[in-house]
Amino acid sequence: MTRAKTWRTGGYVAGNYAFILPFLAFFLVFTAVPIVQAVVMSLHDWPILAKKHPFIGLGNFSKLMADEIWWQALRNTLWFAFLAAGSITVFSLFVSLQLHKPGRARSLYRFFFYVPVVLSVAAMGIVVGWAFNTQFGLVNALLTPLGIEPINWLGEKELVIPTLAMATLWWGFGGPMLIYLAGLQGIPKQVYEAAEIDGASRRQTTWKITLPLMTPSIFFVLVTQVIAHIQVFGQSYLITGGGPGRESYTSIYYLYQTAWRYYRMGYGAAIAVTLAAIILVITLAQFWWNRRQSPVEY
Amino acid sequence: MNAPLRSRVMTHIVLILVGLACVMPLLFSLKISLEPSRYAFQTPSWVWHDPTLEHYFEVVQRQDLLLPNWFVNSLFVSSTIVVFQLLVVTSAAYAFARLTFPGRNALFLVLLFTIMVPSQVTMIPVYTTIREFKLLDNYLGLILPAMANVFGLFMIRQFFLGIPRDFEEAAMIDGAGRWRTWLVIMVPQVKAGLVALAILTFLGTWNDLFWPLIVMNKLEMRTLPVGLTVLNGSYGTERALVMAGAFFAIVPALVLYGIFQKRIIQGSMLSGLGGR
Repeated sequence: MTRAKTWRTGGYVAGNYAFILPFLAFFLVFTAVPIVQAVVMSLHDWPILAKKHPFIGLGNFSKLMADEIWWQALRNTLWFAFLAAGSITVFSLFVSLQLHKPGRARSLYRFFFYVPVVLSVAAMGIVVGWAFNTQFGLVNALLTPLGIEPINWLGEKELVIPTLAMATLWWGFGGPMLIYLAGLQGIPKQVYEAAEIDGASRRQTTWKITLPLMTPSIFFVLVTQVIAHIQVFGQSYLITGGGPGRESYTSIYYLYQTAWRYYRMGYGAAIAVTLAAIILVITLAQFWWNRRQSPVEY
Repeated sequence: MNAPLRSRVMTHIVLILVGLACVMPLLFSLKISLEPSRYAFQTPSWVWHDPTLEHYFEVVQRQDLLLPNWFVNSLFVSSTIVVFQLLVVTSAAYAFARLTFPGRNALFLVLLFTIMVPSQVTMIPVYTTIREFKLLDNYLGLILPAMANVFGLFMIRQFFLGIPRDFEEAAMIDGAGRWRTWLVIMVPQVKAGLVALAILTFLGTWNDLFWPLIVMNKLEMRTLPVGLTVLNGSYGTERALVMAGAFFAIVPALVLYGIFQKRIIQGSMLSGLGGR
């Protein structure tokens, strides 16, 4: 046991560092230092090719506050994130509740529901761009027999963001569904047995027992989905190019164009830092709201 | 019909409809890619007209597209990232689970903090770094920034924490050093976690768009998703061709999913990483 002791104490410590050294090096160079750099760059005028990068304080941020394109992109982004995260949180919960009932076909359904999740955003964009095409798309083809006139899903100002959110729901509900299924498996059977003895109906069981006990999972899914979908880029880059006009232009799209089309790195960093702050505030607000709800115990 | 049976039938109808919604767009896209071009500009029909592979041959052979290059690039970058990330992450995860060193807890807090920072924040500084190192249009520009996967570290650390300490102590008594104990005794026991992480990392890299879009500008250096955006942008009017290109990206991901379905689902459930 003497050897075992020396592992965790004293002179052998340097050797322990060797285990984390590669990770630490990559982490410092590509994550930790860049976070600080991003803040520093946001305080400078930083065209990529210029030799000098003058310090301009909060100049980038005050310009951003007066930037109409930024505000429009942010409005589109938040509207999209609200619709996509909200619909995914609710719909995947609904599906997982249907799936949680015993039955042999359950894993088969689960298999198919997860299929869209393995698509890249590029492939998804190509498929969705066609599916919502006005003239030749699948969606309108399915609606026509129901007597619905062809809809210009991606070309109408009011429709484009909800349509992209719908496509994202299709693409992404499979992941949260799995998280909910894991949560549902964790609810002890005795709780349901007790409810049955007390004569609770199925609806009562769902609303009064399952859903309250699922609150932590629902909260986790909501928070992670909001964070994920505020960072939307591929959908509008591929499917609509931000259009019509700038109606589906998003914050990350704007960041992309600022930094990698116009190479204004300082202004781009300001956009990134502001967006990170917005994500942080929204996440904290969700935590605060969640804590105010009374906790459920069993 | 009594009530429970009716509700069971309803459940299945709903689930079948959702399942159809999941796969129908893909099946119809596949059908378009396997038909002569003119059918892509008609209302979708249930009939499969004149099956042909012409678009698949064309999209592979077009000299202005270089799809074979994109495919190989994606495959190479994704597998390289999986192998090296696994090495880097597994050793660090073991250290955080079992070894002590000064600053361990402080460092762990820093890691926790950084996962709250969205990746777009670091992209501009990392891009300028990569550019200074002359790694634009270079595989290393994609590989190096993907090494320190903090989520992966947390996940594998969790697996290490679940192993009883007796195993290591037995190995130490038998005179095995730290590295041998780690590699021979500990790593095999977290195999389930490693396989799950490997698949999730591979799929994530295979499907990634933003970073390769920025780093890879030369046509022959692009990855499949980036290439697909080029294809979609310049050949949007040749829908069947674009669809055929897309299936070069979709099929490997689906095959991987088909083979490792259980691992992917377990991994996503365990780590909460299945979503986007």
